[in-house]
Amino acid sequence: MAEKRRLRIALAGNPNSGKTSVFNSMTGARQKVGNWPGVTVEKKTGKVVHRGYEIEVVDLPGTYSLTAYSVEERVARSYLVEDKPDVVIHVIDSGNLARNLYLTVQLLELEVDLVLDLNMWDEFKDSGAELDIEKLHRLIGAPIVPTVGHRGEGVRQLLDAAIDLAEEREEHHRHVPISYGPHVNDVLVELVTLLEDYEALPPGYPRRWVAIKLLERDPEIAKLVSGDDARAREIRAAVDRAAEHMETATGSDPEKVISEGRYGYIEGALRQTLSEQKTDRMELSRRIDGVFTNRFLGYPIFLAFMWLLFQLTFRVGAYPMDWIESAVGWLARTVGGVLPPSLFSELIVDGVIGGVGAVAVFLPNIMILFLGVAFLEDSGYMSRAAFLMDRLMRALGLHGKSFIPMLMGFGCSVPAIMATRTLESRRDRILTILLVPLMSCSARLPVYLLIAGTFFAERAGSIVFAMYLIGVAVAMAVGRLLAATIFRSAAAPFVMELPPYRLPTAKGLLVHMWERSKVYLQKMGGVILIASIVLWFLGAFPRGMEMSRDYESEIAALRAVGTEEALDRASELASELEAERIENSFIGRAGKAVAPVMRPLGFTWEMGVGLITGFVAKEVVVSTLGVLYHVGGEDAEETQSLSEALRSPENGITPLAAFGFMIFVLLYTPCIVTVAAVRREAGTRWMWFSVGYQLALAWLASFAVYRIGSLMGLA
Amino acid sequence: MPGKKLPLALLSPGDAARVVDVVGEGAFRRRLLDMGFIKGTFVRVIKHAPLRDPIEYCIGGTHVTLRRREAMHVVVEQVPVPSWCVRRPPHPWKRRYRWGFGGGRRWRKSGASG
Repeated sequence: MAEKRRLRIALAGNPNSGKTSVFNSMTGARQKVGNWPGVTVEKKTGKVVHRGYEIEVVDLPGTYSLTAYSVEERVARSYLVEDKPDVVIHVIDSGNLARNLYLTVQLLELEVDLVLDLNMWDEFKDSGAELDIEKLHRLIGAPIVPTVGHRGEGVRQLLDAAIDLAEEREEHHRHVPISYGPHVNDVLVELVTLLEDYEALPPGYPRRWVAIKLLERDPEIAKLVSGDDARAREIRAAVDRAAEHMETATGSDPEKVISEGRYGYIEGALRQTLSEQKTDRMELSRRIDGVFTNRFLGYPIFLAFMWLLFQLTFRVGAYPMDWIESAVGWLARTVGGVLPPSLFSELIVDGVIGGVGAVAVFLPNIMILFLGVAFLEDSGYMSRAAFLMDRLMRALGLHGKSFIPMLMGFGCSVPAIMATRTLESRRDRILTILLVPLMSCSARLPVYLLIAGTFFAERAGSIVFAMYLIGVAVAMAVGRLLAATIFRSAAAPFVMELPPYRLPTAKGLLVHMWERSKVYLQKMGGVILIASIVLWFLGAFPRGMEMSRDYESEIAALRAVGTEEALDRASELASELEAERIENSFIGRAGKAVAPVMRPLGFTWEMGVGLITGFVAKEVVVSTLGVLYHVGGEDAEETQSLSEALRSPENGITPLAAFGFMIFVLLYTPCIVTVAAVRREAGTRWMWFSVGYQLALAWLASFAVYRIGSLMGLA
Repeated sequence: MPGKKLPLALLSPGDAARVVDVVGEGAFRRRLLDMGFIKGTFVRVIKHAPLRDPIEYCIGGTHVTLRRREAMHVVVEQVPVPSWCVRRPPHPWKRRYRWGFGGGRRWRKSGASG
């Protein structure tokens, strides 16, 4: 056999079962991260060659069950039913057999070829517990392999077992029908005979599983027998009868009876094989929690951790960001110096190199933040943080774990949006993504400083601080509104596990960090680069416009004169040229085109252009205003003159309109990179929603400020 | 020994109980069932979060958190404090209650367990 044989293995398991570490040690660096089709649930696949097989390993979302109630569970089970992997490896936390085997039972119901991976076996043995693996193997009919995922122990044996199973060399292998107790078993037999030769049912669906799901009133499976033919009606009637029979016989409804049946089966199997652990593995964790989730110390410690994470991400991250910026600047100057001045060199220098710089500059933030987040997650502190914060975050309609993305939003929305990956439910994730941009990011600060410093000199500090508070308040209002409307139906229960504290491994942390950074570079880098080039184009074109006067020859003439006075006049003219050029570029025209929309807010057209260029990055608003008000750059002296220009009466900006402008900058559509992040994490539809609602919100809020303020005579 | 039935949310830290029923429906009830809130299972209240909500429980050897509103859906009957999910019993001549740390009453290992 020259050709390699192929095998597809799916990894299933509870969250916190160490599935990721098993996956990592199984596939090493050969991983691909993407999304499951149609949904934004992360799909990881990897490749490994073992015993002449080329094995594709698919990491299913971590779930406790296989119902139709959450996207993750639907994704996992539809993969199992429809794509039929050759072997399913169920990664089990050995220290918590009963709850983990609950998923095993459901995998057995699906009649997949199953290998059980007893992960964290070292902890299990240290606890003094004993398990008769051989007997458990015979009872449930699936081979069992103990592993220590983060050290890679037992992973080869796991692959061996999977290959044996695929080659049907496994001795006790059989699909054991699970007994749910007499009431259910009888009913199931009857339903299975009805379903057995029902043609409308897709062939891949195990009949007994379908029968169970029908009894559980699973909405997706119910659709399979919703047909109008005689058999479908017969089946539906039989299900109703069976359910009624079960209700009268047991006094509770089928879903409950079946869940109880599963746990009963597990208890029976464990009673014969497991001798209880002598030490309680939560013992140490409870002691640590005595401090970390303590009534008095819990919040201070939590805030200290968050402060540290924030400082590491944005303070320490600022150094590599500076290096990247100066490297990009150096590169731009060098290339600009080498290339003859032309449109092409401008494209390369301002468009491409500028774009690459825009992509690269976020990388330090993302890497540091995800290293920290990985540490919080792998150590087990993340769920404690959610436990502490849940009550407060609920005021925003959010989950306790949303706190970290929201906090990071004050630094930069991009890593913050990527950090929403830590949230398990899609509903919480999307809602958090929509609210994160309302946390005032650090790029908006220069705008506040300029405007507040100009118009509210002595109260500038309070005004800037008020911006942050307004952002939080608006997020609360929007969050509650969205939670009560669009997201009402999907509210997920806060049933969250607090895993034991563990010391994270360096390898695990680095893999996690690298994964995120790779996603950022691969999936978002391209979009950002293209967007930067497009924006450069819009700002630099059209060319060859008719200028109001012949600046270039005038400047050249003045330079030729060479007196100090003439040089001053020349640079004045140069900034006028620049202003006129921007004014006539596509962006400038767009700014003028939206001027009628901005007028009710009391904004000048220059401010409109500033807001449009702010789409590149919020701090660009300042430099655009500088150019348009003929004062050029960003250094301190020029900020002074920009302030004067903004204040000068002929420009007609009232303090009230200026305040409205700050509100607009706070609330309107975040920068292009954030939009790319939203698209990547939530999908295109939510991206448009996010852009649209923020624009509307910003306009309405500024309008309200300006109009109500005018009425009150504040203008 | 049928005790008084009451919602899980009303128990205090340290209390133990047996699950009698899970009321409610849909995704929410199913999630509770999946996490092991099954008739006959024992559950112990570990602690309340500082703002009294959510609440940490020990069930089947694992620690899970429920929001107060959700814990109202679990009907339980209280049982004597058993030996599972207990920190080491307090030292006889040391303080029986400790201020702050531990987040709940300390208890004596007593009588019947599940």
